[in-house]
Amino acid sequence: MKIACFVEAYNFIIKSERIALMKFKSTAESMGHEFEFIYKNDISKIPEYDALFIRATTDPSSSAYIASRLAEQSGLKVIDDPHSIRTCSNKAILHDLFHKNNIPSPESILFHGDYSRETLDTIFTTLGLPIIIKTPYTRFSSHVEKASNEKQFIEISKHLLRKAKVLVLQEYVQSDFDWRVGILRNEVLYLCKYCIPDGGWKVRSKINGKNVWGDTIALSRDSISPGLKELSITLSKCVGNGLYGLDVKEINDEYKVIEINDNPSIYDGYEDTVDGDIYEKIVNALVS
Amino acid sequence: MSGLISKMIIVSEDEDEGDSNPFLFLGQPVHDSVLNINHDYRYLRMGYYVSAHAETFGVDVTPNCTEIMDAYRNPLLIEKAKRHGLRTNNYRLITSLGSEIDAPAVLFAVNPFTNNSMKVVDSGSKLPGMIKRMSMGARFPVSLHPLTGEVVEIIQMFGESTNEETSEFTKKFYDVFNIPICKLIVQIDDGGVVLNHCEPALKKEVKWDIVHDKVRQIKQGV
Repeated sequence: MKIACFVEAYNFIIKSERIALMKFKSTAESMGHEFEFIYKNDISKIPEYDALFIRATTDPSSSAYIASRLAEQSGLKVIDDPHSIRTCSNKAILHDLFHKNNIPSPESILFHGDYSRETLDTIFTTLGLPIIIKTPYTRFSSHVEKASNEKQFIEISKHLLRKAKVLVLQEYVQSDFDWRVGILRNEVLYLCKYCIPDGGWKVRSKINGKNVWGDTIALSRDSISPGLKELSITLSKCVGNGLYGLDVKEINDEYKVIEINDNPSIYDGYEDTVDGDIYEKIVNALVS
Repeated sequence: MSGLISKMIIVSEDEDEGDSNPFLFLGQPVHDSVLNINHDYRYLRMGYYVSAHAETFGVDVTPNCTEIMDAYRNPLLIEKAKRHGLRTNNYRLITSLGSEIDAPAVLFAVNPFTNNSMKVVDSGSKLPGMIKRMSMGARFPVSLHPLTGEVVEIIQMFGESTNEETSEFTKKFYDVFNIPICKLIVQIDDGGVVLNHCEPALKKEVKWDIVHDKVRQIKQGV
């Protein structure tokens, strides 16, 4: 079968991402399939393929969305499909999804910029302090801020509302790491700990003026606890049947989902360290 | 809108029209079908969030998010129009600054943030600079449509418009795309109406009396 892998030039800058992409290609070819990298100027060729695998950053505003939707309309198998992109790319929609499906997650509120005393009191009573403020389009920990008091909250939220119609306000949950659960077709694909760097409070933190990523520790997917597995699969089924990366906090043996991402990172030497067959499993999902 | 709807609520930015306004609606669970009336359904705008909220709760909504994105992302608009027999011309997606391109042409930025992005370019020498600006430095594609007729803007409201010359086209557009309110950019030539683009109407451009009549008819049909 002919698999197209939709990428952008930036996907080849970081060595570990570049090697992972080449592993996808060599794995697919060793399984008897064609595997070609395509870019946004190849969008019109998408109907010529049997499957589309998107590695460029997805968002409804991106060229990747157009590629995904055109592939879906042409009957290709698609990872990431348009519905998954639209759902996972937007934290306000995830807020709804978690509430609708009773997914355990930190307390959260949608905020449109009502700074009345009553609303502020409700926010701080419900969520406490510090408080996490996210734009709907946050990714890789960008556009996620923490406010320690009301004055900071007003300053940060007003700044973020200049570009967003709505913000997601979330209870702050302190932890040393986030579980990253990779899910493919509603089964666990890989398991990692995304660690919070020393002196930071999110996986990519600004420390002494520099962006610092925490370590990634891969574990066997078979070592996942029953509770984390059940929660992850329950949530992935609420979105679809694709490839997802869930970020989950563990607090006193209980789990709270922070978000579910389409288009999860897969880098050589990181997510694939223990379960090295993830390339084969993803190629299989594209061709079966 | 088609099919039988047992119960439907109207969510409208027009306070006099709706059962709920977008802000209130987003804070509540949804149990009934939704008709979402807004002049702007762009991604990350309130019109989009209303449809997304309804979809998350598993109810039918007009327009749904797939329909919104299909209409507002130019290549998806044109491909869907072609499949449903609406006339289009040979558009090209320009993705690099070095592409060979011909004038005269009508250009549209292919990102959901830009409104009123149409540029008509008569001279080939002006195209590279224009494409560089519209693509935000090749970050987003630019959709290029050959200029073969008179460029006309139509405000479409539930298949109606104030332009009689394009009334049949406008009705068919609504049947295919299911977007209650939008601005269509078309070219009119000897062969009829050619679809180039769809974008939000400005609130002041919408004939709200037409919208009110249509909503009343829909409510009576429920």
